[in-house]
Amino acid sequence: MTGQKILIVNLTRLGDLLQTSPTIASLRESDPAAEITLLVDKNFSEVCAGIPGVSRTIETDLDELGKCVLDGGRELLRAFESARALVEELREGRFDLALNYSSSRMSAVFMGLLRIPEVRGWCATPEGQRQISHPWSRLFATLCLNREMSDLNLVDHYRSIAGGNPGPQALLFETTTEARERARSLLGGVSQGRRLVAMQLGASRENRMWPRESFAQVGRDLQETNCHVVLVGGGRERELASAVRAEIGEHSTDLCGRTDIATLAAVLERSQLLVTGDTGPMHLAAAVGTPIVGLFFGPALPYDTGPYGVDHVLLHAAVECAPCAHSVTCLDAFCRREITPERVSIAARARLAGDWATLDELGSQPGSVRLFRTGFDSNGYFECRRLGGGPPPTEEVLRRAYRAVWLASLSDRPLPREGFADGVDTTPFASIVSMARRGLETAGRLETATRGGDGDLAEIQALGRTLAEVDANLAHVASVEPTVRPLTQLFRFEQESLAPGSVAALARAHRGIYGQLEFQANAMAAMLSPANVMEDSYASANQRG
Amino acid sequence: MIPGPILDANVSALERAPRVLAAVRASALPADVDVWTTSQGEVSGRVGGVTLHHAEEPSRDARRWAAEAVDRATSANATRITVVGFALGHHLEALVRAFDGDVVVVEPDAGLLRLALSTRDLSDLLARVEIQTEQDLVGLENSCVVPYAPLRLLGGDAYAAAVKQCELAASRGVEGLRVLVVTPMYGGSHPIALQSHRALCRLGHDAELLDLADFLPSYQKLGLFGARPSRRRVTESLFSEALADGVAARVEEGGFDLVLALAQAPLGGNALEAIRRAGALSALWFVEDRRLFSYWREVAQHYDHVFTIQQGECAAEFRSAGAREVDYLPCAAAPDVHRPLALRAEERRVFGSDVSFVGAGYRNRRQSFRRFLDMDFRLWGSDWERAPEFDRVLQRGGTRVSTEDSVRIWNASKVNLNLHSSTYCDGVEPRGDFVNPRTFEIAASGAFQVVDRRSLLASAFDVGSEVVAVDSVSEMREATRRYLDEPEERARIAEAGRARVLREHTYDHRMESLVAQIVARHPARFSHGARPWTVGDARKEASGAVADYLARFDDATPFTLAEMVRPIPDAEGPLSEPEALFVFLQQFDDLYLSEYRR
Repeated sequence: MTGQKILIVNLTRLGDLLQTSPTIASLRESDPAAEITLLVDKNFSEVCAGIPGVSRTIETDLDELGKCVLDGGRELLRAFESARALVEELREGRFDLALNYSSSRMSAVFMGLLRIPEVRGWCATPEGQRQISHPWSRLFATLCLNREMSDLNLVDHYRSIAGGNPGPQALLFETTTEARERARSLLGGVSQGRRLVAMQLGASRENRMWPRESFAQVGRDLQETNCHVVLVGGGRERELASAVRAEIGEHSTDLCGRTDIATLAAVLERSQLLVTGDTGPMHLAAAVGTPIVGLFFGPALPYDTGPYGVDHVLLHAAVECAPCAHSVTCLDAFCRREITPERVSIAARARLAGDWATLDELGSQPGSVRLFRTGFDSNGYFECRRLGGGPPPTEEVLRRAYRAVWLASLSDRPLPREGFADGVDTTPFASIVSMARRGLETAGRLETATRGGDGDLAEIQALGRTLAEVDANLAHVASVEPTVRPLTQLFRFEQESLAPGSVAALARAHRGIYGQLEFQANAMAAMLSPANVMEDSYASANQRG
Repeated sequence: MIPGPILDANVSALERAPRVLAAVRASALPADVDVWTTSQGEVSGRVGGVTLHHAEEPSRDARRWAAEAVDRATSANATRITVVGFALGHHLEALVRAFDGDVVVVEPDAGLLRLALSTRDLSDLLARVEIQTEQDLVGLENSCVVPYAPLRLLGGDAYAAAVKQCELAASRGVEGLRVLVVTPMYGGSHPIALQSHRALCRLGHDAELLDLADFLPSYQKLGLFGARPSRRRVTESLFSEALADGVAARVEEGGFDLVLALAQAPLGGNALEAIRRAGALSALWFVEDRRLFSYWREVAQHYDHVFTIQQGECAAEFRSAGAREVDYLPCAAAPDVHRPLALRAEERRVFGSDVSFVGAGYRNRRQSFRRFLDMDFRLWGSDWERAPEFDRVLQRGGTRVSTEDSVRIWNASKVNLNLHSSTYCDGVEPRGDFVNPRTFEIAASGAFQVVDRRSLLASAFDVGSEVVAVDSVSEMREATRRYLDEPEERARIAEAGRARVLREHTYDHRMESLVAQIVARHPARFSHGARPWTVGDARKEASGAVADYLARFDDATPFTLAEMVRPIPDAEGPLSEPEALFVFLQQFDDLYLSEYRR
């Protein structure tokens, strides 16, 4: 079908919108006549002008809606009316397909109101029940609840949910000639002959901000090695920037609050490097091809939201409690101090020089901080390769194994030929395998018993009880053994999303998801035991089965 | 500089406020305009002789003004500032730079707004502020109202009215305040306390009356101790303190938002501080002549808000005594009490006469009313002792007249004299300012009065058509004679006077204004104390599908998201659109707003 009307719902921030850009390019590539509409929060709509392939942007003012809901009373009535008006406007768009990239019941209910024939991502049934309607959306929802075991980048989730062509291995943002001119004029005072290094000081939340003194020290170190530091950010960061700039000294420029998004992109384009936390400007730099030294701590994970591109350097404070849940209010964000300015200065200088040997050496230093180099695997999915060598830590082994399992079972990519490493207890996975087999077998018997609609009621009831028991046992293992939780969580989302139908049809569908669970658990157990040899992929396993 | 047409940039920026734009387009520039560019290249101007901004440094001066406005809003915890007066916008530009919250601007004179829009590119400012017309004020709740003073000089009553409108709008929806009304033990302000309490209840507040008149018999019996006068005053003072402590104890127990004390209520500094500690605001309605009594000087600083019946230097004097907020709140009438009566013939015989006066025998009245003894004149009220010339006309032996009988007398008399009391002058007090309750009460009763002229009378009544005012006792006598011969004119003026009271001068109006002014100073505080919106309130403004959805709830159900989604889990079948929308809003609240509720 060509000329599809596609709605993409992404109500989060600047970075998330940029991370949607490869998906939009891929949709456009698959269907040049498609009409692609983005629904975005007003605060972040400016960036949409630079994302290629967007036909139309619809803004919603979440701040205003929030204010109305908080005020209550008459304002609550206004909130209701503005939500209703937005629903009306979107219904009038008569979309064929919606991609909902927000994982929340809120977005599900909202999508349910839009009456769009196909929704991928969270949606609600007419009865208000959550339904996650695409395997990659269900995986995304699963990994949101198990982030420490997630190894797939948000961009790849977005692309896989959209399906179709793989699209570019890059974020896309087009700045303008005028913006480039503004950037040139803003950087007019930059010291001749010095390399331009941008630093993004702020972040959306306090727990995502690297300490001011650390930025100042990196700035001083860099200007001593023939760099000119440009401080970038929004108006809110002016005070912070002016303090940092005062500490850095003469070879620095403060552009905080002085650039719109297009000009910021042009400034980053002219910079040889950006030093930043996990921020929107980090993704903007990735989109314009500027190398990044990215600092990940608190809730941020390099695999999840690292800059989608090659050869960026990411430092992650892999402390015990990382990644912290988004809802956590940390009383001592010591992880921010784990990443020392000395190490960041070395990383920045080495990245400027393209000196990967130094970076590798830096990654081999003891401590909680890990260094990564970004790139793409042989399947074309983003990956963070750990610098410094040495045996992989347990959680990395788990993440890599899970990554392989997801790609094999959802995208039919081959499993690695050999297992990864020893050291992870595979017993819980073996338990899941046996439970899944029991479920598979019981569902098969149930399908047979109910086919034709005249089965033995007592037998059907007994089989139903067995399946309930299997599911309870799966839940029990997952609560005791966190390593298997991604499997059981995904299974639950799959189960929840089964289309209503006859008992026989449901039993058949259950065979499918028990079978998938068995394959996944089996593959995990095998990969975590180095002696084993892998099945190629879920599809090839199925063919032989 | 000669102002040209409205600048295009301003027109586009104002398109989101079409009513304002239409009003500006329909208006003409004000007369007597002088606009100039300062040596720094800024634009300032003057209209009708009033300078709108600093003549040389408008933006610097504006920053000072804005800092004060922000202080005021911050101390009131307000998230929104409503400025009355646009002028040329310098003060607003400074304000939006200094204040993170919303800024609403109300400009009652569209012509003045036209001047600003024709002289300066204000598109950035217009994008940041919301301009509203005073006829259509919305969303001012939780807003701190700040008048731009220079325009008060220029606009006079129109600006004062706009400020009042904004304050009322800021208090809109504030009902159900817990108010304790404290009466004095006796005196002219006692009935005012009772009426204030009734009005607050009518306005939907949870008002409680603490009637200290119940303690009057005990207070009067303090004389039984037979103490010397100086010693007795100590005992009386301790008695008053005990009452004050009792009031504070009641406030501590009662969870009140506001304690409203009438003049002479026995509340001293200790009790008022205890009331503050109990979390209630305190207000004094000082319905007396501040020049005659001085006790307010000791207590004014302990009240959060003082309302006076005098203007001019009055506010400054109260402030110099430490009062925080001082506002004008004139006397009023109670139309259910002060009302026209269909009197029986017998009642007319008992209460009626050509000319009458009801009130106490102050010196100036004793001097003045002698001149009415050649008429059919009756004198009612107390404190007329040692004035034998009035023996013939004094009714009921000079005993106190009840309110109900006063209303009968006013209704039965052809001309009611109303001479404000004075302890030092012989006739009409030349510097009399405030208007006494009797003026409003006689008018509300549909009765005709001749009143001595007061400087504040003309702001309450249209003199000549709604009341007859005189400057001297001779004029009072002359007017009385004249109107005795003109019954139709008397009836017309009396009816117009009554209509004016019903429109503007009832206790309901006063209490509405009092609450509005207190809320305007403490918006955030009252936005929490306010009665929550109910489904009944929402239903009045809802239409379409949401109105149908609301029909399933009782009117008294709080209009909250929790209540709106409560029945949904039990419902069968698909969600209706309103159900789904309320679930969406509730999920939005859970996801994004919980941290703001902490």
